[in-house]
Amino acid sequence: MILLTCPNCGTRNVSEFRYGGEITKRPNPNTATQAEWANYLYVRKNVLGVMPEWWCHQSGCGQWLIAERHTKTHEVLKTYVWEARPQE
Amino acid sequence: MAIQAAVGRLPETPSQVINREKIVDFVFDGKTYTAYEGDTIASALVAAGVMTFSRSFKYHRRRGLLCAAGACPNCLVQVGDEANVRSCTTPVQAGMKVEAQNAMPSLDVDVMSATQLVDSFLPAGFYYKAFIRPQALWPTYERFLRQAAGLGKIDPDSEPGYFDKIYKHVDVAVIGGGPAGLRAALAAAKSGARVILMDDQSSPGGHLRYRMDEIDGLPAYEYVAKMAAELVGFSNVEILTNTTAVGRYDRNWVGAVTGNRLIKLRTKALIVATGAYEIPLLFENNDLPGIMLGSAVQRMIHLWGVVPGARAVVVSANRRGLQAALDLIAAGVHIEALAEMREEPDADLIRKLSAEHVMIFKRTTIKRAWGIGKVQGVSLESLHSGQIHEFPCDLLLVSTGYTPANQLLFQAGGKLRWNEQIHEFTLDMLPSDVFAAGEAAATHLLEDIEREGELAGLQAAQFAGFGGKIEKVTFLAAKVEERRAERIPWTQIHIAEDEAKKDFVCICEDVTRKEIKQSIQEGFDSVELLKRYSTVSMGPCQGKMCNINAIHVCAHYNQKTVAETGNTTSRPPVTPVTMGALGGRLMEPVRVSPMHDWHVKHGAVMMNAGLWKRPDHYGDPSAEVRAVRERVGLIDVTPLGKFHLRGPGVPGLLERVYTNRWQKLDVGRVRYGLMVTEEGVVLDDGVTARLDDDFYYMTATSSGASGIFENMEWNLQSGWSYDVHLLNVTDLRAAMNLAGPRSRDVLAKIIQGVDLSNAAFPYMSVRQATIAGIPVLLLRIGFTGELSYEIHTPSGYGLHIWEALLKAGEEFGITPFGVEAQRILRLEKGHIIVSQDTDGLTNPFEAGMEWAVKLDKQDFTGKASLLMANQKGVTKKLVGFEMPDGTIPEEANQIVRPGNGPIGLEIIGRITSVRRSPTLKKVIGLCWLPTEMSEPGQEFTIRVRGQMKTGRVVPLPFYDPDGLKLNS
Ligand SMILES: [Zn+2]
Repeated sequence: MILLTCPNCGTRNVSEFRYGGEITKRPNPNTATQAEWANYLYVRKNVLGVMPEWWCHQSGCGQWLIAERHTKTHEVLKTYVWEARPQE
Repeated sequence: MAIQAAVGRLPETPSQVINREKIVDFVFDGKTYTAYEGDTIASALVAAGVMTFSRSFKYHRRRGLLCAAGACPNCLVQVGDEANVRSCTTPVQAGMKVEAQNAMPSLDVDVMSATQLVDSFLPAGFYYKAFIRPQALWPTYERFLRQAAGLGKIDPDSEPGYFDKIYKHVDVAVIGGGPAGLRAALAAAKSGARVILMDDQSSPGGHLRYRMDEIDGLPAYEYVAKMAAELVGFSNVEILTNTTAVGRYDRNWVGAVTGNRLIKLRTKALIVATGAYEIPLLFENNDLPGIMLGSAVQRMIHLWGVVPGARAVVVSANRRGLQAALDLIAAGVHIEALAEMREEPDADLIRKLSAEHVMIFKRTTIKRAWGIGKVQGVSLESLHSGQIHEFPCDLLLVSTGYTPANQLLFQAGGKLRWNEQIHEFTLDMLPSDVFAAGEAAATHLLEDIEREGELAGLQAAQFAGFGGKIEKVTFLAAKVEERRAERIPWTQIHIAEDEAKKDFVCICEDVTRKEIKQSIQEGFDSVELLKRYSTVSMGPCQGKMCNINAIHVCAHYNQKTVAETGNTTSRPPVTPVTMGALGGRLMEPVRVSPMHDWHVKHGAVMMNAGLWKRPDHYGDPSAEVRAVRERVGLIDVTPLGKFHLRGPGVPGLLERVYTNRWQKLDVGRVRYGLMVTEEGVVLDDGVTARLDDDFYYMTATSSGASGIFENMEWNLQSGWSYDVHLLNVTDLRAAMNLAGPRSRDVLAKIIQGVDLSNAAFPYMSVRQATIAGIPVLLLRIGFTGELSYEIHTPSGYGLHIWEALLKAGEEFGITPFGVEAQRILRLEKGHIIVSQDTDGLTNPFEAGMEWAVKLDKQDFTGKASLLMANQKGVTKKLVGFEMPDGTIPEEANQIVRPGNGPIGLEIIGRITSVRRSPTLKKVIGLCWLPTEMSEPGQEFTIRVRGQMKTGRVVPLPFYDPDGLKLNS
């Protein structure tokens, strides 16, 4: 079982967290084509490597956080809240 | 009943673990046996001369004690209601009732053993071939197979056992308490790390516990006991015996089992020092009782003082085989002959054996054993000349090789590679927080084992942040590398060229060398395929005994090398774990409302709603419905999700999470809200009330509550910038619904601070008031279709308010009602229940809720999906129906029409809700129909318990279509 570090509570078993999926970019719903919207809903990059993803500290403080996890080794490189995300 | 005395014990020695002053009686297959405290079931039986412990899986051959280490399947017994107990590692307890398994009717007379006379009856891959046709006979086959192939019996009436779990957190965990593990634990402990050491035996020491040879002037068992004693002195070390680590998962999460307890361990660094399994040799009749592994014989002699024979033949391929022969001599056993597979065995030990006049055959193996029911003699074969020598014996000791117990290392991601230098599989590419030492890493010489242990201990401590001894680590690491390069094989495997009939590769599943050959000829020539087809290594030992032999046989018949053949995947658990240990204690959390005890006391039949306990009804749901329609009723709705939303950003958040409009909700008003997922699927519904300028109160369905809360939090925490503070008050507030034409009259008697008149407090509005000084929130909403008030109050006052309402309602005939009456009431009113009437694909248009979707809003969760769905139009609809003939279909019954299907029918819809309405006196429901069949008046066919019944679409709602009651 992997470990995740909640910015509020510290390092905890992943079983305390709810998975929120890969971080995706939401198209404007008023202008998105069907293909763009379907892509947003159903297509994931599923990278072999480090992926930023949403986790919610469900059984803890309720914080939503972003974890950068290596999808093969399950190593979690870092976790942070949305406001502290690296700027693109 | 014959009393069997504990016979055949050696004189007492300090290595023995039995207490001869304490005598324990137990029963095996109806006979009473006597054991000493400290005996295992197996040691006591061997002492009493028992040789057959079980009948084999397929051929029902007699099987005796083989490994005495808890690895092989031979000594599995039934103890009371527990099947598959390893008798060689299970201590005897007074009064224990032990039975042999898989014997019909008994160990000595087994009718099924005739199967071995008819080989073709159970060919290789018999799971996939035999018993298939004719299909009609399958029930008979199944009954036969279940009886013939079972391992023990399950008693469905047995009392559930007590199981629990414990969590542990350490810096360094050492799995295995042999010389490698002890050295590792000592090194890590001295570095200051918090250490846990787990060993699956009753005390640490590993194979040194049953070895007599001298180390540093002490017998091995004393030498290792000293090491263990030193470890006990450390306050930062915890030693767990009788504890088996069964799995290693991500980030060194280790599962271990001790008795009825599951240990969940998190460790910064993990040291695997789990030793090795001694493995059997392949030869004809290699499964006869009386054939034992060298380590098993040594355990019997030195731990329990039991000699398993009088005249022995020894087959050896390493130092320990020769030492075992010396142990036999010391125990008074006559050695008829010793076959040594190596050309140049260890000169020092050969000298000692020669001094005892042992007949030694070098470069010689065993060709076959023979005997009726037990080993009575063997044929040895020279590997040089093929010359055969025959000897009688009642014990055959086989000590010809090892396979590392490296499953945890494999699970950690290590890569297995065949090492031709030492004839064993070794692992590399371990993750940086996992270390291997000793025999688990295929190192067998004691001084090397101890050095590897010390190195692993220092490295693991260093990894966990307790470093410092850099020079020592560098020095030891170099030495370990050097010594590993110099290792010699301790394992010899010889595959004969002949067509031997009964040399068992896999004793769990009764797979012979011939059957493996046959499987390969049938095309199952890779190890993974071979394993699945022949079932080799898929039995209780999970390959511990057979895997290496199977790989060699596979390589042999494929004319490939072992390296080319490869190995199979090892998954957790390492050893079988009882379901009880995995299940643990039955700890199902239960949620109850503050009125729960009242419900129970007043005869409520309770039901589960998720974790909540709710009153289903109080005796007569129809009467409860009538009470609400005609007078007044009261239902506990505490499980509703309840949220406080405060801040100027609330309307914006509501606009996002709901599909309808929220910018213009006046203070004091309530609105119904519908939520969909980003895919446009109906997710939840509820109401939100505006209590004050910046203060809103939201309810959600009971089952949706926590998910909805998290979703809203995500909206607040993922950059949408709403200025909102959200609080989940589900558990802080009790809620009840007072419903029926007299509900206003009831409330009027006890409420203060609110004008209840229809004009002042109309439908879909909210008021704050007090009842006997207690603050309550009143929401005038109506799931039931009647005039009704949902009353929310701090949960501590819930029962008080509940009772006050019932008392006030007495004169109006108030009746408490449960979930069943509420379901009927809402169905009469045509209200849907999300996830009962909708499914994981339903959009609001199909569910007839287009009125709750405002597509011209700037944005909301699911907007684009609903735009597209709206454009596409609906192909199916949720509609109301009635049953003209009064049949009550079941929920989930299918709506069909003639077409292409298994019975000439096509499924075109289904029933989602149905009840007999006590109000309307007819059967009504909700169902899914294709759009073209969904107009009121259209009829359709429902398959109800195999019969075709007709339903008719009717407009919704069934009851009070103009909403006069709600607005009254
Ligand atoms: Zn937290």
